[in-house]
Amino acid sequence: MKAYIETTIQVGVMVVIMSVLATSQSLSDFDKKVHEFTLDNGLKFIIVERHEAPVVSFQTYADVGSVDEVKGITGMAHVFEHMAFKGSKSVGSKDYEKEAKALTEVDVAFLNLKKELRQGSDPDRLAELEKLYFKAQEEASKYMIHDEFEEALVRAGGVGLNASTAPDATRYVVSLPSNKLELWMLLESDRFLNPVLREFYKEKNVVMEERRLRTENSPRGRLFEEFLALAYKAHPYGEPVVGHMSDIETMTRREAEEFFTKYYSPANLTIAIVGDVYIDEVRSLAQNYFGRIPSRAKPEPVETVEPPQMGERSVVIKTSAQPSVLIGYHKPSIHHPDEVVFDAISDVLGVGRMSRLYRSLVVNKKIATRASAFHGFPGNKYPDLFTFSVVPSRGHTNQECIEAIDVEIERLKTELVSNVELERAKTRSRASLIRALSSNRGLARQLTFYEVVTGDWRNLFRQLDALDQVTPQDIQRVAQEYFVVTSRTVATIETQKPKG
Amino acid sequence: MKLKVFAQMQWVMFVVLWFCFYSVMAQNHYTELAYPELRDIQIPVVDQVTLSNGMQLFLLEDHELPLIRLSARIRVGSMYEPANKIGLAAITGSVMRSGGTASRSGDAIDEALENIAASVETQIGLDSGSASMSVLSKDLNVGLSILADILMNPSFPEEKIELAKLQWRSAIARRNDRANGIAGREFRKLIYGADSVYARHMEYATLDNIVRDDLVDLHARFFHPNNTMLAIWGDFDASKMSQKIEQIFQDWKTQDVPSIPIPEVHYEFRQTINVIPMEGVNQTHIYMGHIGGLRNDPDYFALSLMNRILGSGYTSRLFKEVRSRQGLAYAVFGSFSAAYEHPGMFYVGCQTHAKSTLQAIQSMKTEVTKLTESEVTAEELELARESFLNAFVFNFDSKGEIVNRLMTYSYYGYPLDFLQKIKEGIEKVTQADILRVAKQRLNADKMQILAVGPSQDFRDALATLGDVNEIDIAIPSTASSP
Repeated sequence: MKAYIETTIQVGVMVVIMSVLATSQSLSDFDKKVHEFTLDNGLKFIIVERHEAPVVSFQTYADVGSVDEVKGITGMAHVFEHMAFKGSKSVGSKDYEKEAKALTEVDVAFLNLKKELRQGSDPDRLAELEKLYFKAQEEASKYMIHDEFEEALVRAGGVGLNASTAPDATRYVVSLPSNKLELWMLLESDRFLNPVLREFYKEKNVVMEERRLRTENSPRGRLFEEFLALAYKAHPYGEPVVGHMSDIETMTRREAEEFFTKYYSPANLTIAIVGDVYIDEVRSLAQNYFGRIPSRAKPEPVETVEPPQMGERSVVIKTSAQPSVLIGYHKPSIHHPDEVVFDAISDVLGVGRMSRLYRSLVVNKKIATRASAFHGFPGNKYPDLFTFSVVPSRGHTNQECIEAIDVEIERLKTELVSNVELERAKTRSRASLIRALSSNRGLARQLTFYEVVTGDWRNLFRQLDALDQVTPQDIQRVAQEYFVVTSRTVATIETQKPKG
Repeated sequence: MKLKVFAQMQWVMFVVLWFCFYSVMAQNHYTELAYPELRDIQIPVVDQVTLSNGMQLFLLEDHELPLIRLSARIRVGSMYEPANKIGLAAITGSVMRSGGTASRSGDAIDEALENIAASVETQIGLDSGSASMSVLSKDLNVGLSILADILMNPSFPEEKIELAKLQWRSAIARRNDRANGIAGREFRKLIYGADSVYARHMEYATLDNIVRDDLVDLHARFFHPNNTMLAIWGDFDASKMSQKIEQIFQDWKTQDVPSIPIPEVHYEFRQTINVIPMEGVNQTHIYMGHIGGLRNDPDYFALSLMNRILGSGYTSRLFKEVRSRQGLAYAVFGSFSAAYEHPGMFYVGCQTHAKSTLQAIQSMKTEVTKLTESEVTAEELELARESFLNAFVFNFDSKGEIVNRLMTYSYYGYPLDFLQKIKEGIEKVTQADILRVAKQRLNADKMQILAVGPSQDFRDALATLGDVNEIDIAIPSTASSP
C-alpha cells in the first residue's frame, strides 16, 4: 500500500476549497482533506469526507475508452460498459456452473450463425441455425437471475445508477445512502473481479438500437461521426464511441472478455468516494473487497500519432434536416503547456452572453441561433480538436456562418484580446469550479478526471493558477500557430428537399 | 506408490489451501450483509416570510459555499395566451431578460453579470413563470438589483423581440428534423387535442401576430409581487435577507391579479393508430397511451409504485422485458404521469428497429394489460417500496431542493408536507391497491398509438391492429415565412 494522508476533518471540506480558490498557497491545506491510498494491486482510491447529509457518491473511472479499440471491434469499450451491469458469478446466477456451459453453447451457436450469414447461401440452414441460437439463449437464461445487480443497488436506495463511455474513459457512477457503503464495496469489486458477460448477444441488439437512436437517425449525430472520421485518418479518435454497426453485429463474448482482461486491470481503475464516509472504514473495506482483484499489467497507451494534416478537409451531408456546421482545428493534448491558453480562448469565444461568437453570430449578424467553441473533443489524453459548432438561423446558410467564424479567428490572430475579456474568463473559471464542487457527485467526477488524465487531482486547482498566467499575447500566438486552414476540417449538413 | 501418495497429499493440500483461501477471502453474499442504521436526516427549517407587498419568500441558509441562489415563480403561463398568439408567453419570458429594463440595456446587464460570473435568467412555461439568479455571495447586491429591475421594469425593445422571434422561427423550421421531438409533440396533441393549451404549439403565423404591446400587456397583467414567490438559499443571514428583499422590491406595489380558471380536459377513451412517415431513418419512435391523472388524487401513491414497477428504471417490467429480454430498444419508458393542476398523460414508449415496430407495440401493450389483470408480486411491490423509502434521504441532500420543493407545493396549493404524505401513503400501498388503480385508470385496449419512422416498413403490420391514420406534420408557411 502506498502512502496515504490521514487527518481528522475539523472544518468543512468546502471551506478549505474556498481558501484554495482564494490563494493557491492553501493547496497544501486542501491536500490534507483529501485522502488517497493505493492497494497492492494498483487500484487507487481518492476519498473526501463530507458529512452534511447521510449520502455518498461513487465514481469508478476506468482508464479505457473507445480510443483503445482496434479496427474490427469498434464499440467494444461501450459494449463492455453495458455488460458490466449483467452481474458476476455470484450475482445474477442460479447455478453458475450450468450457466457457464449454457453460455458457451450460445457462443458456439452465434459463431455458427455468423459463419453461415457470411456465406449467405442456404436459407433453410440459416433458419435452422437461427433457431438453435435462440434456443441456446433461452436455455442459458434459465440459470440467470435477471438484472440482479441493478436491483440490489436500487433496492438499497441507489440513485443516479449509470455508466458512460467516452473515447478516453469509462465511468461507473451511483449514489447511495451512506449506511450502504459495504454493499457498494462488495458489488463494485465483484463486478470487476468475476464479471459474467451474460445476455451478451441480446445486449448487442440494445446497443445497435442505441447507435440507431444517437447516430443513424440523428442528423447531428451523423454530422459528428463524419466530422471525426474526416479529421483523423490514423488516430482512433476518428472512430465512433458507439462503434460501427458491422463491428457491433459481429463481435463475440470472447473478444469482450479479452478486452476486459487487458483493460480492466486494477491498476487501470481509479475510484473516488465523496460523502458521509470515514477514511478508516473505507480503507479497510477497500482492502478487503477490492484487494481480492489480482494485479495485472497496466495496458499501454495508444501509440498511433495522427500525422500532420496536409490540407483542408470537408464533407457535406445532404439530407432533409436543417443546416448545421462543425469546424475543427487540430491542437495538442491536455498535457501541452498551451492547453490553458486554449481554455482561455474557448471561454472568450464561446461561453456566455458576452462571448464573441454569441455577440457576433447570434446577436449582431443574426445568422445563427447557437454558436459555440470547445476543446477536449473528442478526448483529452491525445491531441484533440478545437471545435466550432454553429446552428444557422432560419434563412441563413452554413457558408455565412463559416465566414463569420473566420472573421473571429482572424481577430484573434491580428488583435490582442482585451484585458476585460481575459479577466472575465479567469473569474468565470473560479466561479464554475466552486459550482461544480457543490455536489458529491461533481467533486468525485472532477477528482478522478484530473487524477487519471493529468496524473494528479491537485491539477483541478492548479489549472486556475496556470490560467491566471495567460496573457493576450499567448492567445494571439496560439491562434496564429494552430488556427491554420491546412489543419482545418469542416463538416456540414445541407438541406435537401425530399423528393415528390 | 510413493509418487501416488505424494500426488494425493498435494491434492489434499490444495483442498485445504483452497478452503483457507476461500474462507478468508470470499466475502458474504450481498444479501447477507448487515447495515448500520442510517443516521437521522437533519431537515433544515425553511423561513417563510410574506412581505408587505404580498410577495412570499422561502429562505434557507447554507454556508457551505460562498454562493447565493434564488428562484422565483410567477403565476402566469402560456396556457393564458390567446390561440392566435401562441409563443407570446415564451417570448415575453426571454425578452424580459435579453431586452433589459428602463434604466439598463440588455447588453449592459449581460456585461455586468458576466464580469462577476453571475447569472440571471427568466422564462415562462405552460403554467408558471420563473426567474433564477446565481451569484457569489459577495456580489449579491448586483445580482439582486438586476433581478428586481427585470421583474419590475422590463423594457421589451423591438430589436430583441425580433431576435427572439427569429430564434423561434428557426426552431419551428427544425422541429421535424428528429423523430424524438416529433413523437413527443404529436402524441400530446393526440391526447389533449391539437388546440388544447396543454398540447398546442407555435407556428410562423402565431409568431407573426405577436407585437410589443402584447408583451407589455402580459407583463402588466401578471407580474405583481402578490403573484410572485421567491426561494433563496445560500450563504446569507435569513432575517437580513428578507429585509434586503423588502427594500429592493419596495416600489413594486400590490395589484389585482387575474383569476383565470385552469383549463379543463375532457378525454374520451379510444384506440387510434397513427403513423408519421420519415425518410432516411431506420428506427421507429413509439408512444402509446391515454389520459393520466392529478397529483392530489388519493390513489397517487399506489400509481407511483405502479409506475416504478411498470416503467421507471432498470428494474421495471418494461426495461426487463423490452430491453433486457427482447433487446428491442435502448430507451423504453412508461408512466401514469400526474401533474399538479391538470391531468398528465399515461404513456408507454420506446424506439426500435423499424422491423420490430409491431413486436414492440405488442410487448408494451402486454405489460399494460398484465397490470390490469393480475396483482404485481409481493417481491415487485417490496422492491418498489424499499427503493423509494431507502432513496428518500436524497430528497434532502441539497438545500436548493428542499426550499424549491416547498415553494412548488405552495405555488400549486398543495400541503407543505406533501412529501411526507407521499412517504406515508407509499408505506401503506398493497398489491390489491395497485391492481385496483390499474383497473380503474389504465385501458390497454383503448390506447392511442403513435409510430414515427420509415412507415413503409411497418404500416402493414400496424394495419392488423385497426385503421391506420397518417398525421401530416408539414410546417404551415406564411407570407413572411415562406
